[in-house]
Amino acid sequence: MRTYQTEVLVIGGGATGTGVAYDLAQRGFKTILVEKRDLTHGTTGRYHGLLHSGGRYVVKDPKAATECIEENRILRRIMPHCLEDTGGFFVTTPWDDPDFGDRFMEACQATGVPCEEISVAQMLREEPLLNPKISRCFRVPDAAADSFLATQCVAEAARQYGAEVLIYHEVIRVIREGDRVIGVVCHDLVKDEEVSILADMVVNASGAWAGKIAHMVGLEVSVMPGKGVMVAANHRVVNTVVNRCKMPSDGDIIVPVHTVAVIGTTDQRVADPEHFAIERWEIDLMLEEGDKLVPGFRQMRMLRAWAGVRPLYQETKVADTRDVTRAYTLLDHETRDGVMGFITITGGKWTTFRQMAQVTADRVCEKLGVERPCRTHEEPLPALFESDRHTANGYHYLGARLTDIESHKSYGDLVCECELATRAVVEQAIRDGNAHTLDDIRRDVRLGMGPCQGGFCTYRVTGLLHLWRQTPVTESNVALRDFLQERWKGLKPVLWGAQLKQERLDEFIYLSVLNADHLPGEKASRLGPVMYEEEVNNE
Amino acid sequence: MNDVLVIGAGLSGLVAAWQAVENGRSVRVVAKGWGITHWHAGCIDVLGYYPLDNPEPVVALETAVSRLATEHPQHPYALIRLDNLQTAIEAFKALCATANYPLHGSLTRNWLLPSALGTFRPTCLAPATMIAGDLTDNTPMLIVGFSRWLDFAPALVADNLTHQGIQATHVTLDLPSLRQRKIVTALTIANLMETPAFRAELVNALKPYLSKAGRIGFPAVLGYTQATAVHQTLQKELGRPVFEIPTLPPSIPGMRLHHILLHTIRQKGGMVLEGLEATAATTQNGRITGLYTSAATRHRLHHAHHFILATGGILGGGITTNYTGEITETIFNLPLSTPVNRQSWFRRDFLDPQGHPIYQTGVRVNQQLQPLNENGQPIYENLQAIGTILANWEPIRERSLEGVALATGFIAGRGKTVTSHKTQTTSTSN
Ligand SMILES: Cc1cc2nc3c(=O)[nH]c(=O)nc-3n(C[C@H](O)[C@H](O)[C@H](O)COP(=O)(O)OP(=O)(O)OC[C@H]3O[C@@H](n4cnc5c(N)ncnc54)[C@H](O)[C@@H]3O)c2cc1C
Repeated sequence: MRTYQTEVLVIGGGATGTGVAYDLAQRGFKTILVEKRDLTHGTTGRYHGLLHSGGRYVVKDPKAATECIEENRILRRIMPHCLEDTGGFFVTTPWDDPDFGDRFMEACQATGVPCEEISVAQMLREEPLLNPKISRCFRVPDAAADSFLATQCVAEAARQYGAEVLIYHEVIRVIREGDRVIGVVCHDLVKDEEVSILADMVVNASGAWAGKIAHMVGLEVSVMPGKGVMVAANHRVVNTVVNRCKMPSDGDIIVPVHTVAVIGTTDQRVADPEHFAIERWEIDLMLEEGDKLVPGFRQMRMLRAWAGVRPLYQETKVADTRDVTRAYTLLDHETRDGVMGFITITGGKWTTFRQMAQVTADRVCEKLGVERPCRTHEEPLPALFESDRHTANGYHYLGARLTDIESHKSYGDLVCECELATRAVVEQAIRDGNAHTLDDIRRDVRLGMGPCQGGFCTYRVTGLLHLWRQTPVTESNVALRDFLQERWKGLKPVLWGAQLKQERLDEFIYLSVLNADHLPGEKASRLGPVMYEEEVNNE
Repeated sequence: MNDVLVIGAGLSGLVAAWQAVENGRSVRVVAKGWGITHWHAGCIDVLGYYPLDNPEPVVALETAVSRLATEHPQHPYALIRLDNLQTAIEAFKALCATANYPLHGSLTRNWLLPSALGTFRPTCLAPATMIAGDLTDNTPMLIVGFSRWLDFAPALVADNLTHQGIQATHVTLDLPSLRQRKIVTALTIANLMETPAFRAELVNALKPYLSKAGRIGFPAVLGYTQATAVHQTLQKELGRPVFEIPTLPPSIPGMRLHHILLHTIRQKGGMVLEGLEATAATTQNGRITGLYTSAATRHRLHHAHHFILATGGILGGGITTNYTGEITETIFNLPLSTPVNRQSWFRRDFLDPQGHPIYQTGVRVNQQLQPLNENGQPIYENLQAIGTILANWEPIRERSLEGVALATGFIAGRGKTVTSHKTQTTSTSN
């Protein structure tokens, strides 16, 4: 068995785990990060895309609000190229309590979240598609954040400080010696072999999976997965994050993310963080609520739907998952359970991942008996793409890519026309990146994320992958099939109208013209997508 | 007033218009845009897989079509007689042969030709430019691609063919004429292929790689209107059989068929108007009396004795759906046969061999191809529906889209009454 030895092992390649690995590596610890699929496979890659100002929590959870605004300021400084400074509105629609606005303003003041009321006329000047029946509007410093890019940047920073990032390494056992956790055994999904990693300290940063990992140690940690569904409209209907001014509930935020606008979310308790359905009522509710903010929203072409699970830690049973605190939880299993060498960090928000990483790394220092200060709030994160170095809104923003393409006159070399992914960046992702699947390449360069959802680029990128990888052709075949299935996964809940027509065209290309359903080899690989569960048909 | 107004200029609509002009009827075609011809493989697929869960391609076509018609009495092939399909195929072959772009094949046996993924594509009729790719033949092949153009991946084709027992190697050419262009599309190459200078450049670049190859496969870009000449010249210059492989849209071989049909219809006095979207119809006493179209801001009313609906299904835009699960035929609001609710529209896997139930949605017709109401009675005596707007089949999974389009377009365009008695291909019990 392949064996690694390290000081600290971090489990989970989401925002939190990657942040912890970076912080530790920066403080000089020998660090390994393991993630069972690709980075951001978990909730981090299926969230709403909002850098919270804290506004959402000022009334209900002031502690979380304060954490958010603190981190909001820091992230704007250290990762401007992963953010888009859209600003945010909290608006009172005819469906909302008109008095909530005053409470909201007061609570903003109390928690330190900057907030200014603007006139509805001014709001409509900035966002003409918003419902003209909106009666009040408050401006806050929300922003849009790209968690794929941000996590890649943090991982790159961790690597630069010597950390090792092992993706497609799933922890399947925890090695325990008496009262002490001394390492883990992973399944390397790519090589299909077991790997053992011994460490002085193991950090469980597996989000909604934290209970499962703790269970492997023989500990009881109750993390309640709260599923949230989001739907992306094919149009960027707003340029500002728009929140309903009311107590947090379903479908009350629209976030402009790159070329689309995302409405979310629902909040449903599910049994398992990996297996759940996107239900029709959830989609319908998102459309209905979207329509209240932007009239006509539900008639628009929807691009895709997805769902993530909130890692909500609880010591006691609570009925509505939204009543559990969003502030994060750090569990020191030595003091809590008498087990050494193992700590758990879970809960929180994407916005607060750096702070969560900081307190976790502080605890690791304490456990290992050293004193090394945190510097993650001071040091800017590296840029991954050339354009990130020039503009605040970097590579992942369509405008930056267009500028790149125009200056290099490379419009003839596009692999994905929708998202302007050029052959050069795709080949870079294949050659130097850690991409194992076409979906990994998608996360790296946004391939296949536009209106046609991979209709043309899937074939092209498979050709390039086959050319560069030189692996047996059946591996390229299954990579193509996995990716078609992965795109299908998020399309299925929103297929009607123009998007259904588009999907039928993609079918026509891949079946009638290319006969991809009769490719030799496996029909799906173990690196393929984990599908949403089928909804029980009870109409 | 025209005898026939065809709505839609996909394969079925153009075939109907061609047959109408051939039979002395005056025709107008109105279409929002072009159809499947710009996307498909440029072949006539009649039936590639049957039953759908059988991964082996259909070989004996005639038998398989008869069996399908018996086992699925609602399928379009069950409504039309096999001899109509046969006649349509022969007529279409004759048309293409006259246009100096011969198609080869028959209902006796499917071809197996390589796809751009190196899979085996079953098809009934293929242009002469493709048939040297016949995969029942073992001659080693060389697959050629172009480095500036990602819509054809020769290594993928060759490696998959080799994996399946066909000897194939590949080469990617970096031709100066392509390198200096900012954008290279299928049409760019197809047009260049018609110039001797480019062909000379191509042949010279290929020479070092030819040795073991008994035949040479190219992406389907060997000329647009001069394809036959380009193909023959290349065969001569390379001294070996040459074949085309259909690849990502836009489809050059499909556009050639489109061009032949369009040219023939216009030459015989038919009128084809594109950019006109049909929006609504006027009716009287169970007849369609007129059809409204709109283009930009202008509305227009067209009159005709007979109307042929060829707007395609969900793919073509003749059927639309919305978020509430409503499914609508866009012009006449014809009743549609459709799965019960939105949750049962799809199966779990994109490539499910049975296909997704939503796509079986369509217009139910009788043997005269007249749309029927819930009681099985024709709704309008002078309306026929053809092609992919028809209900109860899965053209993409079956690989039967062009076969049905051709046969139903042929029948409707010809205009002779189809005998209504049941034939040996349709089941009498239901
Ligand atoms: C619907 C929804 C919308 C949200 N929107 C926002 C928002 O707009 N703004 C915001 O700030 N926050 C938002 N959040 C919260 C935020 O997304 C999460 O708090 C954050 O992403 C959690 O990150 P994490 O790293 O802790 O967990 P995850 O991202 O889930 O990471 C855990 C990782 O552990 C891995 N893992 C699990 N088991 C194993 C194993 N056995 N071996 C190895 N690896 C394993 C998983 O694959 C996963 O990648 C949202 C949450 C949800 C559910």
